[in-house]
Amino acid sequence: MNEWILETNGLSKQLGGRAVVNQLNLQVKQGDIYGFLGPNGAGKTTTIRMLLGLAKPSVGSIRIFGKDLRKERLSILRKVGSLVEYPSYYGHLNAIDNLETVRRLLDVPRSRISEVLEIVRLTKDAKRAVKGYSLGMKQRLGIATALLGQPDLLILDEPTNGLDPAGIQEIRELIKSMPREHGVTILISSHLLAEIEQMATRVGIITKGQMIFQDSIEALRRQAKPTIRISVSRPEEAWRMLLAKGLPVDWDQTRLTVGEVSDRTVASIVAALVQQDHDVYRVEEERVSLEDIFLEITGGEGSL
Amino acid sequence: MLALIRSEWLKIRRSVIWLLLLVSPGLAGLIGLFGVREEQPGGPFPWLIALALMTALHAMLFLPLLTGVYAALVCRYEHAGGGWKQLLSLPVTRTRVYIVKFLFVMGLVALTQLLFLAVLLLIGTAKGGGGAIPWSELLGSVGRGWLACLPLAALQLAVSTAWSSFAAPLAVNVVFTIPNMLVANSADYAPYYPWVQPLLAMMPHQNGYDFGAFTLPSLTLLSVVMGSFVVFFLGGWAYFARKAV
Ligand SMILES: Nc1ncnc2c1ncn2[C@@H]1O[C@H](COP(=O)(O)OP(=O)(O)OP(=O)(O)O)[C@@H](O)[C@H]1O
Ligand SMILES: [Mg+2]
Repeated sequence: MNEWILETNGLSKQLGGRAVVNQLNLQVKQGDIYGFLGPNGAGKTTTIRMLLGLAKPSVGSIRIFGKDLRKERLSILRKVGSLVEYPSYYGHLNAIDNLETVRRLLDVPRSRISEVLEIVRLTKDAKRAVKGYSLGMKQRLGIATALLGQPDLLILDEPTNGLDPAGIQEIRELIKSMPREHGVTILISSHLLAEIEQMATRVGIITKGQMIFQDSIEALRRQAKPTIRISVSRPEEAWRMLLAKGLPVDWDQTRLTVGEVSDRTVASIVAALVQQDHDVYRVEEERVSLEDIFLEITGGEGSL
Repeated sequence: MLALIRSEWLKIRRSVIWLLLLVSPGLAGLIGLFGVREEQPGGPFPWLIALALMTALHAMLFLPLLTGVYAALVCRYEHAGGGWKQLLSLPVTRTRVYIVKFLFVMGLVALTQLLFLAVLLLIGTAKGGGGAIPWSELLGSVGRGWLACLPLAALQLAVSTAWSSFAAPLAVNVVFTIPNMLVANSADYAPYYPWVQPLLAMMPHQNGYDFGAFTLPSLTLLSVVMGSFVVFFLGGWAYFARKAV
């Protein structure tokens, strides 16, 4: 009786004497593409490790598919595909044998191997030893491995690391299509909002181990309202005058800005300024990008 | 468990391990071939002398070294490409993973022992000893040698899973294997020294090797070997089960 396919409760991890993950309450719905965002060192990988049972939480619980991870790890992991941090591979084996080592543990038909190789477009290089692969090819193999068991939940930690623009595009399209076509739920971490923005339906943002935003991508976008910036010859005087006329302007000692940006408001402001003999140098719209918001809520030490 | 074994087999099948298997039986074979003289020309082939001679090199040096190498190798391909985190995020229990790794190490040790036996038999029959093969002594020696590798394998597997370096566990193994001949002289310490136990176990009695720890009753040795095996294996397993990957 729970709508969340993945849910953590007060999840925390102490490492080296400090809380690397702190009281995290992740909530991922069936069919979500959940963008798990945070600057470097925020604790994303540490969280994902705990979700997969690779590391034990210091405090808190994890429920996946409505089951407690501590009690039903095996049946949960059977239906979870994952890629953590950098791709895992056996360098001395080729791609087919690499996938076969995993297939034997997942018990899916052999034909799955050529299917997933096709999906990540590695079929051509499948018979080469993986140690000779480029980083991007290893990354593709890692994604193929994650898809092998026809998972219901995909957990991908920075899956586009090392991919070229075409590769990023492909993976993005693949990820977008998965919930639609196979009902898969996806949790994907990144430190780049721009990358997540185009596919995520929900985002969770963490810094210093704490969740500071978790909602739909639309809710995040709503925070990205544009403002109008006006430069005039005598700004402070202009500000008083405009305020006296009941117009919504802000003055922060350097910039005169208007929060409400309807054409009508902007027109009346400009008219008032001209009437009072202010020289109007510029009227420009400032769009706060999601990236700026991300930087703002993560305290400026955010993405690159 | 079977799925894990089949998966592990695939990883090991195409690795360099197979060449290593030949090293020790090969060298011991050379010693047997050129070192063993019949007591009188044309007399019966001295099986036990040959066994003692070949064992001196094989069990004192190569068997403990190879046991460490096998343990390091079955962990190497997991450490190298991030294999642990992939393997352990699949539907497998850590206990089974650890047991399967251990089974493979001991399986490789068994193959080494069988090859050693095969080489000895080959040399003996080639030199005319085919009629009077002392089966129980030969099989006993090889089998006891395998058993005596249990604690060492458990110890080396624990070290190899804990350290992501390939060379470090091997260096430890070499450092502790080198003093084997000295340790074997001490009836007090040798039984408790995992690296020398294969030598003590394999050496046939009453062949000039009746000094130091070689005179120990095999039951004493067996109980020490089994006891330390249980301790090392449980220790390594308990660590692995909790390790953050
Ligand atoms: N074994 C450890 N001991 C102590 N501190 C650790 C350990 N592992 C990770 N940390 C710390 O935990 C913090 C979070 O690391 P984590 O790898 O989860 O970050 P991340 O969000 O994945 O970052 P990135 O975007 O760079 O991948 C970092 O400050 C890191 O230094
Ligand atoms: Mg990370």
